[in-house]
Amino acid sequence: MTHNVRTRVPFDSTSQLAEVVERVQSAPTLGPFDDRLVDFGAEFSRRLARRARGYSELQALAFWMRKAELVRMKRDFSRLAGLQTILMPRGTVVHFPPANVDTIFIYSWLISLLCGNRNIVRLSSRTTDQTEILIEIISDLAREQVYADVVAATAMVMYPHDSATTSELSASADLRVIWGGDTSVNSIRRAALAPNATDLTFPDKISLAAFDVETVQALDDEALAQLAGRFYNDAFWFDQLGCSSPRTLVWVGDPVTARLVERRFFDALYEVTLAKGLTVEIATAISKMTYGFSAAVTHPVTEVHSWGNQILLVQDAELAGLPDGFVGAGTFHTVTVGSLGSIAKIIGRRHQTLSHYGFTRTTLTTLVEVLAGSGLDRLVPVGDALTFNRYWDGNDLFQSFTRFVYVEEG
Amino acid sequence: MLDEFTERAQFSIPQVEKQKLLEQELTSLTEWHRGRSAEYSRMLSANALPPGKGLAALPFLPVNIFKQHLLSSVPEADIFKVLTSSGTSGQTVSRIVLDRVTASQQSVALTKIMTHVLGPERLPMLIIDTPNVVKNRKELSARGAGVLGMIPYGHQHLYALNDDMELDVEAVRTFLDRHLGSPILIFGFTFMVWKYFYQRIKNFDLDLSNAVLIHTGGWKKLLDEAVDNSDFRASLERDTGLVRIHNFYGMVEQVGSVFMEAKDGYLRPPNYADVLIRDPITWEPVADGQIGVIQVLSVLPRSYPGHSILTEDLGIVHGVAADGWMGRRLEVIGRVPKTELRGCSDTHAADAERSH
Repeated sequence: MTHNVRTRVPFDSTSQLAEVVERVQSAPTLGPFDDRLVDFGAEFSRRLARRARGYSELQALAFWMRKAELVRMKRDFSRLAGLQTILMPRGTVVHFPPANVDTIFIYSWLISLLCGNRNIVRLSSRTTDQTEILIEIISDLAREQVYADVVAATAMVMYPHDSATTSELSASADLRVIWGGDTSVNSIRRAALAPNATDLTFPDKISLAAFDVETVQALDDEALAQLAGRFYNDAFWFDQLGCSSPRTLVWVGDPVTARLVERRFFDALYEVTLAKGLTVEIATAISKMTYGFSAAVTHPVTEVHSWGNQILLVQDAELAGLPDGFVGAGTFHTVTVGSLGSIAKIIGRRHQTLSHYGFTRTTLTTLVEVLAGSGLDRLVPVGDALTFNRYWDGNDLFQSFTRFVYVEEG
Repeated sequence: MLDEFTERAQFSIPQVEKQKLLEQELTSLTEWHRGRSAEYSRMLSANALPPGKGLAALPFLPVNIFKQHLLSSVPEADIFKVLTSSGTSGQTVSRIVLDRVTASQQSVALTKIMTHVLGPERLPMLIIDTPNVVKNRKELSARGAGVLGMIPYGHQHLYALNDDMELDVEAVRTFLDRHLGSPILIFGFTFMVWKYFYQRIKNFDLDLSNAVLIHTGGWKKLLDEAVDNSDFRASLERDTGLVRIHNFYGMVEQVGSVFMEAKDGYLRPPNYADVLIRDPITWEPVADGQIGVIQVLSVLPRSYPGHSILTEDLGIVHGVAADGWMGRRLEVIGRVPKTELRGCSDTHAADAERSH
């Protein structure tokens, strides 16, 4: 038995899922990073850039898949091949992106597409303006002869939350990609996969930032404002609830200097929130206030400070994990430690990104070696916490979306 | 000290005097709780005091803190009861620790306030609800708790609705005929009184001029139907002659010190309580007439640090009444609008999927 779905890509229609799967799986495909795939991505990027005004996430997406970047990706991808391995697609990739980060579905889909796969993306029924813009651009491209073939092996569908439809869709997958955190992963995983298929999952993750106190102290006001501006993007997009959004700021250095530097840094960050016109809803402001009171009980808190409703700072006396019920939207735990290595004791599997400022490569790699894979999947400069690339949650997506065919001559 | 609030007629203390009395009592309550609740003490020492002077300079707790922590200022052996707000299942609820002293103070206060409105005699009581709303005492809904709290102020109770919210018109007629010419009490939730009682009987030419209507529960649903308090009052008066109408505002976090609607249509804090409106950006107290977030103050809570609470309701104080019922004239606008934050964890979708 098949289920009805609403297809949005290539075109808006209501169809039976079985037909959608059949159409995607019988469409012709191109090899990994075929020039026509790269051209498609570049054209998508050009059109998106024109429509992204006012949507910083769309701007970031358009920039990420600009022509020069796609060419670089193609080169990097080709390096995956060994003397005896040939890179081939996995087959049909079914994507379950999160409902509330509008651009993830494109990142997930486009990398898979470039790797030569057929793709079915399940879209949330609650779309935003940004999602609609993306769908419209893809549909437009699908109408043009040059790109029609590329889009033919893609379907983006919507259906009301329904485990039977999820099961039918999952059964068609060679690779199923589940975003959206622990509960989404657990719930969608209940639908069985074909025996040869695998899951690529993106469970709940949390992130933090570390600053070298002396390096920040040495900054003049202008440089500090720039740093705060970069940190603003890391922290305030996605209401600070993104997997990669920093929740804890670790100051590495002398504790007395750290207090002064912290003050200056958050003053500067507050100025950024004002300049950006960041508004905080009353309910959110009250939730943050409540968090400040609650954390005083659950955490070794020395002081709670606020800069308007925009920033709530919870100063911890020592390193501690974060409680459940983190409210985000500009809520920061801060703590001071003597060396970056000492954060290892609170790092666990759930920690994804460390955004850092003022550390040498050696200091960073030493931390990674101490952790020995027990946590932290990305260490990136402040300002790049949310910058997507092929390495995510400890996976290389190029590899995940690729089949390595081994050929040995006789 | 508390005796003074109880013995003087409710709503009779002029604002300036009351503020002085409250400031003294609430300041010592803050110290009382700070000395007895380690959690409260830590909360206060980590957080800055709110901006403002006098009453406004007293620390407050955001109301949702009672959903996250069980705060107690009495030894465990003295805990007599833990009140819970009755949310729909799955929601976290407030938990309020009562000892016998606080429970008794709440009950005395509520009686003082209600009898000030209803008189000392218990009145025949028409309840605009179904009898089943109070059946399951272990898991009372907010409505059930409200009805149960009012029952002692009436007798010869009649539940006017069945489980399908249909009015038993005959039973209501019989009830009214039996008590013709003598005072009766009508109680119900604002929306239900409007929708299932008033809408049903408005053309029946019933005479409710001898009734006192007490109602509560908020205006959200009625405002969706474009009915505000003055429409509500005017319609009831026009079609039934009912003029003694008192809305009230209260919460499980401050049981006992309910705000009652005066003749002018605005709520008044009882002797035990007061209200402040804070600007949602600066958190400074706002000028009269300005909308802001409601902070409620009450001298009743001794077993838990709930004497100064920032609610999640918006309101306006329309000046101070200096005759009739004294005190700040409060209008409750409704809940602070809920916001949906984003992030990449998609629990909504997962919940929906799971419940299938």
